Amino acid sequence: MGVHRPFGAWWLAALLFAATAAQAGEIKPFVPGSMKSILAAHQGKPFILGLWSLSCVHCRDDLRLLGKLVGKYPAVDLVLVATDTPAETAALASTLKQYGLQRREAWVFGDDFSERLRFEIDRNWYGELPRTYFIAAAGDSEAVSGKLDAFHVEQWVRQHVGSARSPR
Amino acid sequence: MKRATLGTLLLAVTLSASAHENHAGHGAAKPDVGKMWQDMLKKPALSPSAAFDAEGRLWLAAAKDGFLLVSRSDDKGKTFGTPVAVNRVAENIAADGENRPKIVLGNNGAVYVSYTSSLDKPFTGNVRFARSLDGGRHFSDPITVNDNLDIVTHRFEALAVNGKGQVFLAWLDKRDQAAAAKKGEKYTGAALYAAVSDDGGASFRPNFKLADHSCECCRVAMGMDRDGIPVAFWRQVFGKNVRDHALVRLDGKSQPVRVSYDNWETDSCPHHGPSLSIAADGVYHLAWFDNAPARRGLFYARSTDQGKTFSAPLAFGNLDAQPAHPFVLAADKGVAVAWKEFDGERSVVHAMRSADGGVTWSAPRKLASTAGGSDHPLLIADKEQVYLLWNTLREGVQLIPAGAAD
Repeated sequence: MGVHRPFGAWWLAALLFAATAAQAGEIKPFVPGSMKSILAAHQGKPFILGLWSLSCVHCRDDLRLLGKLVGKYPAVDLVLVATDTPAETAALASTLKQYGLQRREAWVFGDDFSERLRFEIDRNWYGELPRTYFIAAAGDSEAVSGKLDAFHVEQWVRQHVGSARSPR
Repeated sequence: MKRATLGTLLLAVTLSASAHENHAGHGAAKPDVGKMWQDMLKKPALSPSAAFDAEGRLWLAAAKDGFLLVSRSDDKGKTFGTPVAVNRVAENIAADGENRPKIVLGNNGAVYVSYTSSLDKPFTGNVRFARSLDGGRHFSDPITVNDNLDIVTHRFEALAVNGKGQVFLAWLDKRDQAAAAKKGEKYTGAALYAAVSDDGGASFRPNFKLADHSCECCRVAMGMDRDGIPVAFWRQVFGKNVRDHALVRLDGKSQPVRVSYDNWETDSCPHHGPSLSIAADGVYHLAWFDNAPARRGLFYARSTDQGKTFSAPLAFGNLDAQPAHPFVLAADKGVAVAWKEFDGERSVVHAMRSADGGVTWSAPRKLASTAGGSDHPLLIADKEQVYLLWNTLREGVQLIPAGAAD
């Protein structure tokens, strides 16, 4: 059946395209247990955990800063968690893209019991945004509420990740 | 007349929001930011307001599908009459924890409502107001109260009415921030603006500014003093970036007074505004949240001299359980404070009571809990009872007795 093959190829191409697109902009639902799995996945490796929301005025400044940071230091492991809802995935993806963060690990609160999710992240976090955690390889972390300071962020990166810059 | 229970009514408000998702267009070549923002605004409208009138009837104002619905219950919230829509054209009515529709009953039977109508652009909106002079059967067409119509923040409004039929609104306003930005200048935070109507809300005098440099997204609280002067209480940016609290009497001459000295220095959005209630004896009762390294959690203070001086703040709530969103309500000497905690499994509303005008307090008592998402707790009262008004995703809106009013 000659018709079969080209149709199959088109289908495969479409599938591949869809898969790539999903990979680039995938925003996973952050549910009870997600924090544990993020910590487990990054165990022994330094990473930055950034909490943000579409409704937070100051978060845009942090996204800009973090976008520049990962551009300059590609080795930085950045995990972004938005406290919005999965219904806003399109807006979240486009905002992340705006700051060059579309390929970074991204999550969105996927359970309407946000108090529980907040508690699992940090029982001393009251929901103020932006909230950023700098988690060292040994697991000790530093929490910052409010806009980040570029100097301090770079200092942490050089100390914990290394100073390998982007070749550009 | 069709009747619905309080719970089913508000559950319907919550659940209907998801029906909007299907409107999203297909095949758009580039992301439509305005459209996405609109979709975002159609998140569940979790936050209603309610008040009792002089006859003890309960009035509920809740956003649903872009309409502000007002409904009345003559049996303390067990059943409700058919809701009346305030606006005839759908608007994006803000109804999340910090920014909810307001309803105030006049002593002449008038019903006053206000809400923030969110615009397409992120962080922008207008303050809207309407009234009913026929017992809530019809409402006037909503008017925009902010007289600056730039596409900027005019949001988080508070509403109060005095015995003379004057209507007061205060809200967070970024017109000055926008003007500064145009000139390439920096302006910290937003500003607190207000408007006054001398004719029961038929018209408003020009807007006036109460304070520069408010925090951007914390609810504004407003109480009515015995002399008919409203008092606003809000999170204010002091110095470079300390987000503490200020209070001002809207008497046309008073200057803002700093209330809290927790020194929470942060360039963040706490989304966590304060609460104010003025008792029949004229004492101001205030509650707020801060997250400064040295002073973290919930605080209560009182003022016996119309906000000139304040008692030493009393810390309350369990710091291991994320105490949050305190709400204070005073009758005369009887004062109640409710707040929300999370115990690791459930969100719990606790309350404490004072019988001596806020000098001494009872131990906290658990009023309600839920195993899912929930609104901030609100307190309302009729002549006899204080009630917790709490909307939860699982149980819907509940009205829970919280002790004698006084």
